[in-house]
Amino acid sequence: MAGLNNHGVADVLAMAFMFVLLVLAAVFMHSYSLRPLRAATNRQLELKSEHLYKTLELAWVRPGVSFFRAAAENLLLEQPIVPRPYLRSTMENVLEYLHPSGYAVAVSLSYENASWELSWPEGAGLGLGAEKQFARQGEVRLTMAGGENIAVPVTVRIFEIA
Amino acid sequence: MTLTQILKTLVTIILVISFLLVTVSAYQQHRRISALAELSDATTAIVTRLSVEELAYVDNDGNLHMYTIDPAKLEGLSTRREFGGENFDFQVSVRYEAGGERVLGPFGSTPPEDRTRGSLAVSCVLYENAHFLPAKLSVMAWRA
Repeated sequence: MAGLNNHGVADVLAMAFMFVLLVLAAVFMHSYSLRPLRAATNRQLELKSEHLYKTLELAWVRPGVSFFRAAAENLLLEQPIVPRPYLRSTMENVLEYLHPSGYAVAVSLSYENASWELSWPEGAGLGLGAEKQFARQGEVRLTMAGGENIAVPVTVRIFEIA
Repeated sequence: MTLTQILKTLVTIILVISFLLVTVSAYQQHRRISALAELSDATTAIVTRLSVEELAYVDNDGNLHMYTIDPAKLEGLSTRREFGGENFDFQVSVRYEAGGERVLGPFGSTPPEDRTRGSLAVSCVLYENAHFLPAKLSVMAWRA
């Protein structure tokens, strides 16, 4: 140690360590300070996901028929009130109009082995493996002709386009 | 004191000063970011309150339809809210498509140019001519 001190190496090492500490501290403090803003942005995206779900649940594709009800009928009935091509085209236009900027949207309904899926932009998939995604799940209830009450699970997912 | 010792002392002083400057700068940035996050949260809170309560459509039986905007309620809307002891002003508008995009509003005072503004647009339902239409509720908020 005395030899190192004689050559001034210990001082140089101490200064180099301080320099590394300075760089690390700067990176850590600046990245940590962005956390509240990222969290606030995520809360807004959660809210957008909730609102999109409620919009598709309540808005009409045809008078008296909501988007989710029409999709559930397409899944379960042979002759739904809203024909499949019309529903898909209209819902695609609505998703294009309502989607959060920079994010894709996927809507999926499933019952037993059948499923009804739609995503915007086309081909974006359901976003199941997306790093950043905000999903809202619920169900649509349909009463069949025989009086049977069926609950169809619905998922609306907003996700970052890769 | 040799020249080497003077140089070492100088480098150490520079490093200490740099560390202090970085700490002060990070603290200032943290305060700016926190203020932005508070504005963002205030905007989120305003949108939520508008869509589930203040602008929500009430039918003839008195049932409240959350997430459904009644355009008749837009005109008389008060556009100032208090959150955490701070006042926020906001401007609101509703957009929807009916053979081209239509805009209701903006309602509220004009946003000042010299203040930071937070904006948020969410989807909602618009009750128009006895129909429930998909629409977008946009709010721009700033500190009063």
